[in-house]
Amino acid sequence: MQTSIHDSHFILRRLHSLFGLIPIGGFLVLHIWENGQSHLGAEYFNYYVAQPIMHTTYLLIIEIVVIALPLLFHAGYGLVIIGSGSAEPFRYRYRRNWLYWLQRVSGVAIVAFLALHIGLTRVAAWLDPAIYQDLFGYMQQSLTQPVTLVVYLLGLWLSVFHLSNGLATAAIAWGLTTNAAAQRRFGYVCLLIGVILGSLGTHALIGFLP
Amino acid sequence: MTTQPPDVVPESADLILNRDPLLAFELGNDDSLPASSIDQIDLKIRRQDDPFSKPYWQQFRLPCQGKETITALLRKLRNQPVTIDGETVDPVAFDHNCMEEVCGACAILINGKPRMACSALIEEFNGMITLEPLSKFPIIRDLIVDRSRMFAHLKRVKAWITLDGTWETQQPPLRMSPHDVAVNYLYSRCMYCGCCMAACPQYDENQEFVGPATLAQVRLLNHHPLGQYEKTERLHRIMTVGGLSDCGNAQNCVRVCPKEIPLTTAIGELGRAVTWQLFKDLFGD
Repeated sequence: MQTSIHDSHFILRRLHSLFGLIPIGGFLVLHIWENGQSHLGAEYFNYYVAQPIMHTTYLLIIEIVVIALPLLFHAGYGLVIIGSGSAEPFRYRYRRNWLYWLQRVSGVAIVAFLALHIGLTRVAAWLDPAIYQDLFGYMQQSLTQPVTLVVYLLGLWLSVFHLSNGLATAAIAWGLTTNAAAQRRFGYVCLLIGVILGSLGTHALIGFLP
Repeated sequence: MTTQPPDVVPESADLILNRDPLLAFELGNDDSLPASSIDQIDLKIRRQDDPFSKPYWQQFRLPCQGKETITALLRKLRNQPVTIDGETVDPVAFDHNCMEEVCGACAILINGKPRMACSALIEEFNGMITLEPLSKFPIIRDLIVDRSRMFAHLKRVKAWITLDGTWETQQPPLRMSPHDVAVNYLYSRCMYCGCCMAACPQYDENQEFVGPATLAQVRLLNHHPLGQYEKTERLHRIMTVGGLSDCGNAQNCVRVCPKEIPLTTAIGELGRAVTWQLFKDLFGD
């Protein structure tokens, strides 16, 4: 009998779950917290937030290994998982079934949002290093366009939803919460985490506005 | 007020001449029955003549009592298979057996959701009742589906207890606490009707997922005094394609289960067991 560690299917599913929380979920929390410093003004943000990140040792390797590769795997394998299911949110109007459906809808939407977000920031800065000299000013210019602001708000709240709902389902998958009562309790904890993260992120986005 | 069928044993001649008092009750011809609030009902049934032909819809209007079940209605329809347009058609084929929600044969979609036809009372529904074959399973005819896949799932996860072995079979079984007996009883009520699988977004004819009921049997047998000896093997069998990790936590299963089996608790407990097993496989026992 083959054991679990020789079964790629099981290992891939568990890695998909793990990567969603660490490092991607962890990075999202860090990212929101860092950008919360947008309220302290352009000078502070450029000097204390943008500069230290730019001068981090092995930055490119960290970006690729800790963020890009896990994200690509999580998104790619996530799309495979979406293909294996068929949600019926209107036939079965139960809360968890809606969350199941929204988790998949938000996953696809986040892939589109991230392509835009990374293109507008990281890739744009690659092509034009001057952006890094005044990152705050660049973001302010971007976000004062109502379309960009709405897209960023949507992207933020979808990502926060995807993380907090993913945390609740990962708790079931890994066996942290076993019975229905525990799953419901932890669901509310995840809801609270989501609301806090989403509010922090919204606060951060507002901070960039003039 | 409930109405009971007449307590009369039919004579054989009555049966031959179709004068069965039970049948008279089902047909609503028995004058002794009290009047009910519902006296007729419209049925819309999705029909299919064979596994390969196209499905089509037919409507019927039948006399009925509110306390009658959908199975009783289908039995009545079998005697008078006349559509709402007055056309006499082939009787609707359907599965039923125990008539008391313990065998699992009569699971169909009633108004779009999986239910046992034998325990669904007409008075629970408003207006026309729509009947369809159980989703996710290949259709044999009308409301009859092929659920043999479910037996394959049970074999796949080793949903049995090995009694023959090198040990002394005369030994008394291990003792279980009353609490464990009570919890295991919840899972032992599974009748393998397939309602949970019909409602599961991850379960499909084209997918390998073994479904919630099968996983609940792994939970049950892994806590059985004799079944626990093969716990690791069962866990390994659900740590693969079609196993536990194919669950998407939509939790429709526990909502539609007619026996109210705590399927999501079984899945959560197996999640924990499988995580420990993964650590054991990775780092040694």
